[in-house]
Amino acid sequence: MKIKTVLKSPWIFHASSGSCNNCDIEIVDCLTPRFDVERFGILLAGSIRHADVILVTGSCNRQAAARVKKLYENAPKPVFVVAIGECSLSRGMFINSYNCPVPLDKIIPVDVYVPGCPPKPEAIIAGILKLMEKTKTGKKPQENK
Amino acid sequence: MTKENILDSIRENFRNGHITDVRERTPKRIYITVTPDIICGLTKLVTHDLHGRFNTLSAIDMRTYFEILYHFTFDEINLVVTFRTKLSDRQNPRIESISNIIEGANWIERETAELFGIEFTGHPDMRRLLLPDEWPQGVYPLRKDYKEWDKGAIRDRGI
Repeated sequence: MKIKTVLKSPWIFHASSGSCNNCDIEIVDCLTPRFDVERFGILLAGSIRHADVILVTGSCNRQAAARVKKLYENAPKPVFVVAIGECSLSRGMFINSYNCPVPLDKIIPVDVYVPGCPPKPEAIIAGILKLMEKTKTGKKPQENK
Repeated sequence: MTKENILDSIRENFRNGHITDVRERTPKRIYITVTPDIICGLTKLVTHDLHGRFNTLSAIDMRTYFEILYHFTFDEINLVVTFRTKLSDRQNPRIESISNIIEGANWIERETAELFGIEFTGHPDMRRLLLPDEWPQGVYPLRKDYKEWDKGAIRDRGI
């Protein structure tokens, strides 16, 4: 049942774990009429308890890491995690920072990685569509070809 | 008020060798090297009498000593005056707090204290500001001799 809602209309929750706000702006761009992800049924959820997908931006600093973990625990399962931007993939330029000890996928399981600094709205849309494809077929998008 | 008025007033009030160097980098920026003990008096003079505005302070670890720079702006004449002080005791760097004179210096002093380990004596509310709760006491991340303390940290990209 939950898988079906993800395919038809995923509600996304946007969590910023110490980002520079650039990825967040691109996410907001996706939701505006120019890129309009609502045509895929994607809606921004105000609460983590309504979310099917968590979008995480930022380099997961020490204070945010515990909170991201808590968010993931509070989300109704199954929940999918999309890491957006270089920072949440590998911490980007902050890899040697005293405040960013581990990357996001060592804290919570990540389903889709969208690289870029910041990723274009097209890349974010492609990432979420890949997530839909992955949930539909149970395979990675490359394996479907 | 002109730039010359400000410089004359500062020189007049602190005569006895407290001001060691005055350097004009550009027409809009002046660096004045002072001894640490007159910072409170200077702050009072600049903000109350000369109508300057406390902008921020910044600290540098120079490996053998710490340097604190107090930046004051004079918005009417488009001038930034920076007072640089040298804290030569590297083990216990301490300087008098100016946050009793300027409320706005409160948080930047807290930040400097926890990132550099510089003690601001007389600060009204010295709690931790930016560092996470589990951060160990006595480890200052912006010092040059900072070593990684977290054994669980991963510093490669996994490829």
